[in-house]
Amino acid sequence: MRLSLNRPTRPPDEASLLKYFCLAPVVIYDSLFFLLPLLFLVWIGFWTVENYQAVPGFSLTNYIDIFSQLFSRSRYAFAIAQSLWVAATTTLLGLLLCYPFALALAFVVPPKLQRFALVLAIAPFWTSYILRLYAWQTVINTNGLLNTLLMKLGLIDAPLQIIFTQVGTRIGLLHYLAPIMILILYLVVCNIDVTLLNASKNLGATTWQTFWRVLLPLSKPGLVYSAVFGAIISLGDVLSGIILGGGTGKSILGSFPLFSTVIFNEYAASTNLPRTSALATLLIGIMVVILAAGLQFSAVEE
Amino acid sequence: MASKPFSARALTVTGWLYLILGYGLLMLPILTLVIFSFENSRFPTLPWTGWTWSWYQEMFTDGTLIEALKASLFVSPLAAAIATVLGFFGAYALNRFEFRGKQPLTILLIVPILVPPLILGVAFLGLLSRVNLQGQLYSILITHVVILLPTAIALITLRLMQMPKAIEQAAWNLGATEWQALWRVVLPWTVPGIAGAFLLAFTFSFDEFVIAWFVSGFEPTLPVSIYNFLGSNLSPSLNAIGTLVFLLSILLLVGVELLLIPMLLNKPTRSR
Repeated sequence: MRLSLNRPTRPPDEASLLKYFCLAPVVIYDSLFFLLPLLFLVWIGFWTVENYQAVPGFSLTNYIDIFSQLFSRSRYAFAIAQSLWVAATTTLLGLLLCYPFALALAFVVPPKLQRFALVLAIAPFWTSYILRLYAWQTVINTNGLLNTLLMKLGLIDAPLQIIFTQVGTRIGLLHYLAPIMILILYLVVCNIDVTLLNASKNLGATTWQTFWRVLLPLSKPGLVYSAVFGAIISLGDVLSGIILGGGTGKSILGSFPLFSTVIFNEYAASTNLPRTSALATLLIGIMVVILAAGLQFSAVEE
Repeated sequence: MASKPFSARALTVTGWLYLILGYGLLMLPILTLVIFSFENSRFPTLPWTGWTWSWYQEMFTDGTLIEALKASLFVSPLAAAIATVLGFFGAYALNRFEFRGKQPLTILLIVPILVPPLILGVAFLGLLSRVNLQGQLYSILITHVVILLPTAIALITLRLMQMPKAIEQAAWNLGATEWQALWRVVLPWTVPGIAGAFLLAFTFSFDEFVIAWFVSGFEPTLPVSIYNFLGSNLSPSLNAIGTLVFLLSILLLVGVELLLIPMLLNKPTRSR
């Protein structure tokens, strides 16, 4: 006689095959098609090219060549600096623009409308990125919509040079980042306990003090996630730097391409896979250092 | 509640103005794309010269973009489906079982989304070209699944965490085997998460450029084909295909609004 009361609330067979059945596919897939390619990438970086054929081996040729060209010819150091500069400024701008947007979404929009407003804000993310960049080209071109409009209004005499500068690159990146940053920040702000904000006000804090001493510190996880997301995307993105930045867009650092653009274009021009792999490995190194430093920094601040 | 009504009101007005400006900028390129797909002149700029359907005709007669769209509509749903199925099982196991090495495993499953597609593109090409799998639609399919898995796992885990543990335990108590409980109790509960994950995965794959550029050959997906178009002959056909893609996005967005947003706004109700 089996009494349901005596039944265990867990299947007795803890060593069942279900766990392995569920985990094996993803683990095998990621090992084969994620870990293996990454290890391969690092290894190929040490190969050489003879007669347009990649030759397996272990040689430092690629790295010696890359490091010898840090400041001459390909000038990789300048490209890396440009990438860091554009990524840092874009991420910061993204936070400065999206955080107030998320706050307005959470506190100004009536609760009933908020869901719709949120969907509207993340809508651009669902349309093609490359097509959005192409559309931005139409807008910021030398004789594009913005310049035509401003000149018709008599606000400027000569067209503004936005396209094919790093300002253009940033516009494209920001348009990609904004929906996600807004979503992350909105979700974090929404989960903040409103009683804390009311308590601060009741205790006599001004709106500004409540923002600075209560709301902002509580939003920190959202700000950190958004910043990490912004930095990773900005450092790795290829399209905006090419389509809006024109490859070697000008910034206050000078007319240098982004490092990601360099990697992409070098492969397009040479199809030299070992050397491209070495450059990509270098990019991994740079990103690991930056992320570690950034997370360290945000942890120390606390 | 002693804050001055004036400053509160000023804040509200500023907030609305900021929102309007923000939405304007977010929508600007999309509206530009749609509107200028009907503009007569070959160079999309002001002043407006007249309405036309010719760019849509050109897009269909030229056929390059349409072929690429077909390739994308083959790769992306398939990649999203594979990622979602694998992701469901992975997420279920991660959510239910405790075991040694769970944390490093979770990191392994999530980290592909943190690696820039540029790096993955070079890496995939390196591996696939050694085994002669590069340059086909299947190459893109295989590699896209990798970058889609993390989001699928994350979203499905989110949904699973909202499931009261008691439901599954009740099924066990009533005599269901683990497999039956998984199939007939957990799976139906997770359907919104699975569907949401599929939509997001589809979007990622449909939009992915760099990896597809590296591993694709003569059968480019839509973003790669658009990129080639941008390099060679700028044509308002791009606006036309953009409008088509935009219509597809609206469909996806409705799904997102129905499935994804409620899930994200829901707070996890974890009970043991």
